[in-house]
Amino acid sequence: MEYVVAAYAVIWFVLMLYVVGVGLRTARLTRETELMARVLAEHGEGPAEGRAADEAAGVGR
Amino acid sequence: MVLGSATAVLMAASVIGLFLVAPEDTDQGAIQRIFYFHVAIAIGSMIAFLVACVAGVLYLRRGTRVWDDVGAVSAGLGLLFSALTVVTGSIWAKGAWGTWWRWDDPRLVTYLIVILLYAAYFVLRSSAEGDRRERYSAVYAIFAFAAVPLSFYAVRVAESFIHPVVFTENGANMPGSMLIWFVVAQVGVVGLFATLLQLELLQRRAQRALDDLKLRIEALAA
Repeated sequence: MEYVVAAYAVIWFVLMLYVVGVGLRTARLTRETELMARVLAEHGEGPAEGRAADEAAGVGR
Repeated sequence: MVLGSATAVLMAASVIGLFLVAPEDTDQGAIQRIFYFHVAIAIGSMIAFLVACVAGVLYLRRGTRVWDDVGAVSAGLGLLFSALTVVTGSIWAKGAWGTWWRWDDPRLVTYLIVILLYAAYFVLRSSAEGDRRERYSAVYAIFAFAAVPLSFYAVRVAESFIHPVVFTENGANMPGSMLIWFVVAQVGVVGLFATLLQLELLQRRAQRALDDLKLRIEALAA
């Protein structure tokens, strides 16, 4: 039975690690998007930039 | 979101089913329970490589970047699933045969070749840039897929008696009470692949939009 537990532990550990990695990348993208949005607001946001910001922010939703 | 939730439910149901409901194999005992996810993930890796191959064809026909993204993400997920297949297979082999690996088994060796081929895919991707990288990757993904059916049929052609063949021309070589939980695990793994593919594609699109924003801000600041 210990072999079965080891095999499933490996599967779930690797998958959890992958999901955590994806979550961390999402959080970084969201932080960068918020920063860019603040910079754009300071410089005066154009319509093209607004669309790109909306698209970039979509990943955090 | 719906896909992710359905996948989580299926994965949880399959784990509960294979540990608590599925009958124990009379020949191998408890260790046979590795089969459910080992084989499901192996088939999942082959599906991922097939998607990478189809995405390569579509990229070469249409030239749209999204197909390059689909190909790269699918190849990456296929490689992840392959690595999991080898690790769980080795654990199973140690318990059942008393060894981690058999070099005289055609299934194991051809599957290792498939893994090395797709690892080389990423070496190729990192060695070229721009359109060339996308074109080379697409062509390579199409040719690399030729090794996948080779791995699938190798064990049947070689008539290996070491690695068991569960699915034959006459159907599944297991009772229905086991097969049902294998099907649940398989659908869960395919759902997991689809969920991770969707998430990675969304991230890549967002990253590109963000890079575009950075360029515009740099232009504004200049």
